[in-house]
Amino acid sequence: MIGLRAGISIAIAAILCAALVVIGWSAREAVERTIVPAIAAQAESVGRSAASLVENAVTAGVPLDKLVGVDTYLEGLRRANVELAELKLITPAGAVLGRAGAPPEEANAPQVVTAVTARSGVPLASLIITIDPSVVSGQVNAVLIDVAFIGMVSLLVALELVALVVGARGVEALAALEARVRALSRGHLWMHSDTTEASPLVAPIDAHVALLHARHQKARSEAARRGDAEAISSLDALSARTGLGTTHAGENHAATVIRPALFLFMMAEELARPFLPRLAAEVVPANLHMSVDFAISLPIVIFMAGVALCQLPFAVASERLGRKRGFIIGAAIAVASYVLSALTDNYFLFLGSRLTAAIGYALVFVSAQGHVIDHSRPSERTAGLAVFVRAILVAGLCGPPIGGVLADRLGDHTAFLASAALAALSLLVALLSLPRSQPKKDVQGVGLSDLGSALRAPRLAALLFGCALPAKILLVAICFYLVPVELQRQGYSAAAIGRLQMIYPVLMVIAVPAFAALAERLNARAGFVVMGSLLAGAGTLLLLAGTSPAIIAGVLALLGLGQAMSIASQSALVADSAQHVPGAGSAGVLGLFRLIERTGNAVGPAAAGLLLAAVGFASSGVSIGILVVAGALGFALSGRSQPSTPRTARSDGDAAPEGSPL
Amino acid sequence: MIRTSLGLIVVFALIAAACVAFGAYFSFVTLQNAHRKAVEARFAITAERIAGSAQTAASLGIALPAQTTLAELLRREARLDHTILSIDVTDDRQRVLYSSDPDRIGGGEGARTANGISRRIENDLAATIGNVVVRYDPAALAAGAAALSGELGVIALPTLAGAALATIAIGLLLAGGLGRAAKRAANPAFWPRAARSALAEAEAAHSTFRAEDRP
Repeated sequence: MIGLRAGISIAIAAILCAALVVIGWSAREAVERTIVPAIAAQAESVGRSAASLVENAVTAGVPLDKLVGVDTYLEGLRRANVELAELKLITPAGAVLGRAGAPPEEANAPQVVTAVTARSGVPLASLIITIDPSVVSGQVNAVLIDVAFIGMVSLLVALELVALVVGARGVEALAALEARVRALSRGHLWMHSDTTEASPLVAPIDAHVALLHARHQKARSEAARRGDAEAISSLDALSARTGLGTTHAGENHAATVIRPALFLFMMAEELARPFLPRLAAEVVPANLHMSVDFAISLPIVIFMAGVALCQLPFAVASERLGRKRGFIIGAAIAVASYVLSALTDNYFLFLGSRLTAAIGYALVFVSAQGHVIDHSRPSERTAGLAVFVRAILVAGLCGPPIGGVLADRLGDHTAFLASAALAALSLLVALLSLPRSQPKKDVQGVGLSDLGSALRAPRLAALLFGCALPAKILLVAICFYLVPVELQRQGYSAAAIGRLQMIYPVLMVIAVPAFAALAERLNARAGFVVMGSLLAGAGTLLLLAGTSPAIIAGVLALLGLGQAMSIASQSALVADSAQHVPGAGSAGVLGLFRLIERTGNAVGPAAAGLLLAAVGFASSGVSIGILVVAGALGFALSGRSQPSTPRTARSDGDAAPEGSPL
Repeated sequence: MIRTSLGLIVVFALIAAACVAFGAYFSFVTLQNAHRKAVEARFAITAERIAGSAQTAASLGIALPAQTTLAELLRREARLDHTILSIDVTDDRQRVLYSSDPDRIGGGEGARTANGISRRIENDLAATIGNVVVRYDPAALAAGAAALSGELGVIALPTLAGAALATIAIGLLLAGGLGRAAKRAANPAFWPRAARSALAEAEAAHSTFRAEDRP
C-alpha cells in the first residue's frame, strides 16, 4: 500500500516531469521563433558587410571580375562563423567570382542572399550564404539541454520541499496511521511505539492489537506454566510470523527531521561555487605579492582549511553545546559571513568572511551528523546517514546552477546575499524542527595519540594517503577551482559553469548506491577503490586532447564515475580498520580519516592555483590526475606485502558520510 | 485527519506550482541568455572585423590615432545594421578616437558597456593598444525577451495551474484511500486479507488455551 506521503511524493515527481516536458516543448518552440532567426541574422550581417566591401571596391574602379583574394576573404568569414557552411559570390549570369566552404548535406538548407549593386542600383552580383542546419540545431540542442538541467533542478528542489513537509511534526499522526495500515496489509500484528500521544486515528487499531498481544502473552505464560514445549514453540512461531508479542520501533525520523535544514544550509554554500573564483578575481588588489591565480584560489583554500581544522574540535563542541544549538550557532555565523562577503570589496575582509563561513559550515556539519547518530539505533545509522549524504549531494546539484543564474542576473555580490537568505532560512527551519538540545558535559575528544595509533591499522596509511587524500585534492582542484576558472576564461557564463559542475554530483547520486552494492556483492572493496581512483585520475588525461566544454564534461564525468566507484568502498574499508583498532583508537581512525579528507579539500585549490600559474590549466589537471593514479597504484601494491583488512559482516555506518563530496 | 490531509494536499499543490514556476522562470532566463548570445554574436563579428583591420594597419607601423580610414569604415559598418547605435575605436585609456557617431569622439568609453560588445586591438606583442566597442539598441534584445516571455508565459501559467490541480486531485484520491483504510483498520472484520488470516491463526492458537481454561 502506498501511503499519502509516499504516494503524493511520487505523484508530484510524475506531475512535475510532465509539466517540465510541456515547458521544455514550449522552450523549443520559443527557440525556433527567436533564437534561430537571431542566428540567421548573423549570416545576414556577414552578407551585408561583405557585399558592402565589394561595392566599395567596384566604386573605387576595380572591375568585379578583377577582384583578387575573394576566396581567401570568404574563407576567413566562414572560419570565423561556424554556422556558415558555404559563401559564394556569383554574377547575375551565374559565373562564380569567389567561393568558400561546401554546401551542407541536408536538403533545403537555409540561404541568405545579399545583392551587390552599383551606385546606380544596377545589380552586379549576389553573395549567397548557406547556413549549416546541423550547427544551428546543435546550438538549439545545447540550449534545450540547459533547459533540461533546469527541469531536473526544479524536480529535486520540489522533492526536497516535499521532504521538508513530510518531516514536519504535524504529520506524525498521519505517518503513524500509515505505518499501522501498511503493517496490517502485510499481515503484521505488532505493536507500534512511534507515537508519544494517543492519536484518535490510531487508537482503535492499537486497542485491537493490544488485546491480541495480551491474549498471546497470557497463552504463552500458560504454556510455560504447564511446561508444554510444543505449545511454546508453536506460539513463538506464530509470534515470528505475525509479530504478536513484539513492538515495532517504526520509522526513524532523525535524518528526516534534519534533512530540510541541512539541505537549505548546504545549498547556501553551493550557490557561491560557480561565481566565487570570479568574485575573488574582482577583489584581488593589484599590488598583492603573489600570483593572481593563487590569490583567486585562496578564498577556497581558506574555506576548506577552516573546515578541515574545525572538524575535530567542533565534534566535541557540538556535543557540549547540544546538536540543535550547535546547528543554530553555526548557521548564524554563516549568515553573518555571507553578508560580509556580499558587502565587502576588500580582499582580506573577503578572505576573513570565507574563514568564518568555514567555521559556521563545520559546526553545522558536525551538529547535523551528530544529530543523526545520536537519534538513531546502530542498525539505522547507515540508512540515516545515507539520507544525510543525499541532502548534501542534492544541494550540490541544485546550488551551482541556481547560483550561476542569480550571479548573472543580480551580480556576484548580491548572489551572496541569496546565500545569506538561504542560510537564515535553514536556521529558522532548524529552530522549528530540531528537538531540544541535550548538552553533554563529559565529552572526550580525539587526541593526537589516538590519531597516531590509528595509523598502525592494517593498510590504513596507504588507503588514506594513497587514495582518500589525492581523491579530495583532485575533486576540489578540478571541480571547484580549475574548471570554473578555465570556463570563465573561455567566456562562459556563471550559469553555464554551474550546469557543467552538476555532472559530478549527478553521477554520484545515481552511481554510488549501485557501485556500493556491487562492491559488497563481489567482496571487492579494495579493488573498487583502486579502479575508481585510476578511472578518476586517468580521466584528466583527456585534457591533453583539448579544453573544450565537451572535453571538460568528459573529465568531470570520469571523475564522478571513478569517485562513485571508490567512495563507499573506501568508507567501508576505513570503518573496518576502525573496528580493528582497540579502544579509543577506533575513534582515532575515523578522526584521522576526516582530517585527511578535509586536508585534501584545503590542499586541492592551493595546489591547483600554484600549478595553474606555473603550467596552465590542462597540465595542472593532468598533474593532479597522475598523482591520484600513483596513489591508487601505491595502495594496490601495499596489498601485496600486507594482509588485507579482514572484512566484517556489517560495517559501522559511522564512516558513511566521510565519503561525502565535501 | 481530514484537516491534516487537506492542509498537506494544499501545501503539496503549492510546492508543485512553485516548482513549475521556478522551472519556467529559469528556462526563460536560460533562453534569454542564449538569445542575447545569438544577437551579440552578430555585433561581435563586426567588432572582430574592425579590430582585425586596425591590427593589420598597426602591424604595418600605423599607430591607432593615425588610422584615419577607420572613421569611414566605422560609419559604413554602422549603416549596415540599423540596431547598431555607434561603433567606437578607443585607445588603451578608453578615450574614443573614432566613432560612427561624431559626437562621441574625444569622450570616454568603458570597455564593459551595457548593451555593447567590446573587442581588443592588439599590437604584434599582444599588448592592448585599443578597443572596438559596438553599442547596440537594447530594443534588439527586448523584442526577443518579450517574445520568449510571452511564449513561455502562455504555456507556463496553465501548466502551473494544471500541476497544482493534478496534485490536489491525486492527493484527494490518496487521502480518500487512506481514510477508508483507517476506517477498515479500526474494525478487525474489515482488516486486509493478510491481517485477517494472521488474526484467525492467532485466535485459533489462543482459543486452545481459553477452552482448556474453562471449568
